[in-house]
Amino acid sequence: MVRVRKNLIPYMFLIIPLIIYLVWVIGPMFYTFYLSLTDWDGLTTPTFIGLQNYQKLFEDKVFYISLFNNLKWLVSFITIPVVLGLALAMVLNRAIPGEKFFKMSFFMPMVLAMVVSGLIWGWMFHPAGGLINNFLVATGIMEKGPGWLSDRDLVLWSIILVATWRQVGYVMVLYLAGLKSINPQLLDAATVDGATGWQTFWRIILPLLMPVTVIVIVISVIDSLRAFDLVSVMTRGGPANASSVLANFMYIESFNNYKMGYGASIAVILFFLSLIFIFIYLWRVMKDELEY
Amino acid sequence: MNTQYFKSPWRILVYLILILATFLWLIPILTGLVTSIRTFDDILYNGFISWPKEITLGNFQEAWERGGLNRYLPNSFIITIPSLVLTLLLSSLGAYALARFRFRFNRAIFFLFVAGMLLPFQVLMLPVFKLTDFLGLYDTYWGLIAFHTAFQLGFCIFMLRNYMRTVPGEIIEAARIDGCGELRIWWQIMIPLTLPALAAIATLEFTWIFNDYLWAIVLLRSDNLKPITAGLATLQGQYVTDWPVIVSGALIGTIPTLLVFLFLQRYFIEGLTLGSTK
Amino acid sequence: MNNKSIWALFSLFALAALALTSCAQPTPETIIETVVVTEVVEIEGETIIETQIVETTKEVEVPVEKQVLIYNSYMSDPDPRAADAEVVTMFSEANPDIEVLHSTVAHEDFKQAIRAYLTASTPPDVLTWFAGNRARFFIDNDQLMDISDLWASEGWNESYPKGFQAMSTVDGNQYFLPTSWYWWAVYYRISIFEELGLEEPTTWEEFIAVNEALKEAGYTPIAIGTKYRWTAAAWFDYLNMRINGPEFHVDLMLCKESYDDPRVAQVFEVWRELLDSGYFIDDAAAYSWSEALEPFIRGDAAMYLMGDFIRDSLPDEIEEDLGFFRFPIIDPNVPIGEDAPTDGFFIAANSQNVEAAKRFMAYLGSVEYQTYFAETLNRLPTNFDVDKSIFTESQQEGLELIEGADFVAQFYDRDTTPEMADEGMNAFMAFWDDPDSIDGLLADLEAARLEICAPE
Repeated sequence: MVRVRKNLIPYMFLIIPLIIYLVWVIGPMFYTFYLSLTDWDGLTTPTFIGLQNYQKLFEDKVFYISLFNNLKWLVSFITIPVVLGLALAMVLNRAIPGEKFFKMSFFMPMVLAMVVSGLIWGWMFHPAGGLINNFLVATGIMEKGPGWLSDRDLVLWSIILVATWRQVGYVMVLYLAGLKSINPQLLDAATVDGATGWQTFWRIILPLLMPVTVIVIVISVIDSLRAFDLVSVMTRGGPANASSVLANFMYIESFNNYKMGYGASIAVILFFLSLIFIFIYLWRVMKDELEY
Repeated sequence: MNTQYFKSPWRILVYLILILATFLWLIPILTGLVTSIRTFDDILYNGFISWPKEITLGNFQEAWERGGLNRYLPNSFIITIPSLVLTLLLSSLGAYALARFRFRFNRAIFFLFVAGMLLPFQVLMLPVFKLTDFLGLYDTYWGLIAFHTAFQLGFCIFMLRNYMRTVPGEIIEAARIDGCGELRIWWQIMIPLTLPALAAIATLEFTWIFNDYLWAIVLLRSDNLKPITAGLATLQGQYVTDWPVIVSGALIGTIPTLLVFLFLQRYFIEGLTLGSTK
Repeated sequence: MNNKSIWALFSLFALAALALTSCAQPTPETIIETVVVTEVVEIEGETIIETQIVETTKEVEVPVEKQVLIYNSYMSDPDPRAADAEVVTMFSEANPDIEVLHSTVAHEDFKQAIRAYLTASTPPDVLTWFAGNRARFFIDNDQLMDISDLWASEGWNESYPKGFQAMSTVDGNQYFLPTSWYWWAVYYRISIFEELGLEEPTTWEEFIAVNEALKEAGYTPIAIGTKYRWTAAAWFDYLNMRINGPEFHVDLMLCKESYDDPRVAQVFEVWRELLDSGYFIDDAAAYSWSEALEPFIRGDAAMYLMGDFIRDSLPDEIEEDLGFFRFPIIDPNVPIGEDAPTDGFFIAANSQNVEAAKRFMAYLGSVEYQTYFAETLNRLPTNFDVDKSIFTESQQEGLELIEGADFVAQFYDRDTTPEMADEGMNAFMAFWDDPDSIDGLLADLEAARLEICAPE
């Protein structure tokens, strides 16, 4: 009797969150899968059309542009903010004068509404009157600053820059929390043993931060594939779809063009793309986890 | 001022770089601040990136009034805080089960929670709206709270499970051998030990839920239930966008989140360390 | 420490829950009661019964029965929004038995939210919306309530010009109430024109000459911000209507004509001349329409093809220096078409408060409301019974502009389906960026048209 009950305990802990999750998230998720097989304008009843949306999608050049943009975003997100965020967390983890101010400053971009961030950066990127170009011209680096948001080759990277500006604080917060759970006695022992700062970092801290790093990588992949707000606010995917990303593409198709079925198919592709990345990564990582 | 920090020249260099980086990071925000105290005409005449010629504090007042912030601010709290509490509660329960128990569907359930994070949430808008309407929760606080709680569970369970795995097994084992019930272990051991993670998640969740407006637009219809994000969004017109007022409003909107950050971030510093193993 | 914070959070939660559950207090009402008081008095052994009639006033808490009207509006621009709120107040005062629950939603968000609104089990009763294709979409899907009875009973069939009636009617029934509209024109800085001795051009040759003169003098002839694309669509609308006539333009919008028609190509050739001559401002794609106003305000740029709402964004001194003229005639044999986007209202098909909604609509279509709106906002009313003497000079001019037109369109992205509008506007932007690519663009547009406008 006791053994049976003991086996049920984890399920009892999980039952409420699981039910809520199934109803509000997983259910709509499967409904979205179903929608991707239909033609629906959001008002009338959907008509089943099988895989036609996907056929259309694979012939749509905007889809491929969006896909590659997301991949560029992904590569950027799993490198720069992770390194910078970790560095900041390491530096700010000590009793450094003004640490609260520093932490708040780097976290501030995340707190500011995306719309306003996009707005402000739009002014900074302004070709004629913007801060960045004014700086470049004034210091003589360039004669005329480029059109950051109107140049097809530069626009995506400009937006990624803004996204990184926001993301670093986020990663920093995650690593700060992770650093707090490292036993300082381990670090003291290492110092006593004569380990240098770098060795302590590489051999002790980083491995102990592995669970956090897993979180950070997964989050970065997900966020880069789901990126939407900044693109929507700053360029709406323009100029001429140069900065289009999958989520924005999906949004325009669903809510602007009333093609909810087609939009759903884009979401499904996004979903499976993320799934592949995440699950392979997690599976490998979790294999090495100690069993409790 | 803690000058003990500056032990070595490296430290000083790092500190200088830190100051520079911070300054660079804050430039956009400072630009926003400057814009918020300028008048609309000033910006029209001189462009956005220029030294202010006309200064006013009236934008904040206008954002407050026209954005209806005094009416909507309570709503933001009514929506955010229950969502936050429920999410933390439920996800820490679930994460504990996933982190500390061996049972058959552990991996499967975990992946289920992760999978839910992978969809861009805009696509969930209409299905969730239909669901909410069907449950009779359309245009109610609870409709929005229920959604936020559910949606954030994925991320929180994912995060907390991983953080909970960093707690050494000995503590839990010791407690179990002592005959502690699982619920007590969860409450008295796990929660305190994962406090840094909980505080970090609480900060992030507060930020996201408080700053959300897409779902408020979709799941709410009435004016008196709107959070401030929806109120601020109405400052954007079809043709006229009053930049200084919008930026002022947005800056006001960051204050609650910053306060939460300041309040909770001491838990990043003072989180219990694992010396209690002994 | 951690206990404290948890208690803090919980008490916050409790407070929030309390706030949620606090019910609305019923409105106290004053009732005058007539009370009969009977007093029995004993005086010197005789019993006298005195009866008095006393009036007392009692405050009784009686919930006041009010009809509810849910009104959602997208008028988020500051001036219209204030006017809108004022209108609700005026209506509520005139109709104390209706409680109007008024919600203003950001304009762009409204367009997304409307689908949720209309399909909810408790939708808003009255909503703002655009005329043209956008309304048509919902009418075809039975989302709007038939208000032909209202049109008949309020006499709007007589007081509204045929054009506005036509745009609200599908299959003989009216579903929409147009209430305000504005015109598009080429706006210019009077002072700059005066300085160079320029007159308002009426023909294309005159227009080019004006542009040349401005350019010679160092001004940017035409300001435009194409970041959000629709400003470029305006140029397409007008060039197409001037070169090929409004009928062809509307047929193109309705998918009845092809984008690879040589007439369409001609529009872009003329457009290209303007681009190649350098009449437009540099880097137009980097500016939103209002950001491009800066050079116009500063006096560096002289003209801007825009709707009359340009005034709302101009400082007062500049507004006084503002003039406008009809987009120049290219082919005098072609009928004159103008863009005059029209806004209005409709009732949701499954509205729960139909009677209140119809009373509100009646008010919105009335002379009183339209006069107020026209006076406050410089828009033009649709009810032509409104006294024209209240119009400002510019309103009169605008009215004449439209009255002198043979045909009125709604604007590119309101006349054609959203998907086609998207494709079209992207093509305009691509053309602006690289005019040589126009042939490929038109071929793509035609392919898109065939797919999007496939016959049902």
